[in-house]
Amino acid sequence: MYDLIIIGGGPAGIAAGIYAARKKLKTLLIAESIGGQPVIASEINNFIGFKSLSGVQLKQIFEEHLRAHSGIEIEEGPKVAKIEKEKDVFAVFTDKDKSYQTKTVLIAVGSSPRRLNAPGEKKFEGKGVFYCSICDAPLMKNKTTVVVGGGNSGFYAVLDLLSYASKIYVLEYSDTLRADPVYIEKAEKSGKVEIIKMAEVKEILGDKFVSSIKYQDRNSGEIKEIKAEGVFVSIGYQSNSAMAEGLVDIDDKGKIVVNHKTQATSCEGVWSAGDVTDVLYNQINVAIGDAIKAVLSIYEHLNKKPQSH
Amino acid sequence: MIKIYTTQTCPYCVMAKNYFQEKGVQYEEANVSVDEKAREEMINKSHQMGVPVIDINGAIIVGFNRSEIDKALGK
Repeated sequence: MYDLIIIGGGPAGIAAGIYAARKKLKTLLIAESIGGQPVIASEINNFIGFKSLSGVQLKQIFEEHLRAHSGIEIEEGPKVAKIEKEKDVFAVFTDKDKSYQTKTVLIAVGSSPRRLNAPGEKKFEGKGVFYCSICDAPLMKNKTTVVVGGGNSGFYAVLDLLSYASKIYVLEYSDTLRADPVYIEKAEKSGKVEIIKMAEVKEILGDKFVSSIKYQDRNSGEIKEIKAEGVFVSIGYQSNSAMAEGLVDIDDKGKIVVNHKTQATSCEGVWSAGDVTDVLYNQINVAIGDAIKAVLSIYEHLNKKPQSH
Repeated sequence: MIKIYTTQTCPYCVMAKNYFQEKGVQYEEANVSVDEKAREEMINKSHQMGVPVIDINGAIIVGFNRSEIDKALGK
């Protein structure tokens, strides 16, 4: 029986692991992989204490710090499928058909790239439809590419593509770009970026691989088609809260509702931190702070429990 | 034989290579953004274009997935 099971290996999970180890809680951290979402960032300039580092560098620093604490057990690879509560004990089940018992749970599983849910998107995933521009932009050498999404993540994709793609279209659903002006300026200066606003993606087409994308001009209603070999979907993120459905309160955006003082969820014994929650700001520094709040609150909860019974 | 198909910027490729190095496993690397032949080979093996693709003695793994790698390595 564990005192605490931390689910997730991103900044929140790692910070929680370090604090839990220092509090000598009997802790298990289960993560599909250590590092979390920042891993795919080419450059991070706002992680306090570091002027600039890559996502992979940050992951290495985090992992080293976490593994320096021998008191914490780490299961890297399995995915948590569900969490069940029975009286005061939780059973955490993984997709490897293993289950672990614990007194408390911290859900820090972050978020994943949001899908368009347009016809063809799933069929062509990895076959021209991509979600990781830093990974797959180099495959677009001399090719026409479409980026869906005019926010910061869309323009990160544009910037990753600039040195490879011959032409880049940005399709934005609304009439305004939400990206920071510095990124938009840089993209426009390149001369190979065309921005199309009020565009709703209708379908991604191709044979074995993507060959074009259809969108509707939301002003005229006209359906238009762009011949392109790559579609980078960058329309934000969605919370990975599915495993906690039925256990804790989840808001209409799919985010786990927490008490922002303690990170406690609606279910006693379950805490949550980081991008999976209804936190307002999705920042590495914020996720870390919230995870630490959670562990301190969990520590208090575990220590006062015997007296209340 | 272990072969990993990468691009120079892909973080999961770096993580996969680090993982092999940690385990002391020998591998061959092909950068598909510059090596056209390797690119075709990767597409033929995995029927898709995303990186990394890892070929462990014929077992094809798309993406960096520790447990799938362990399984293919026979651990």
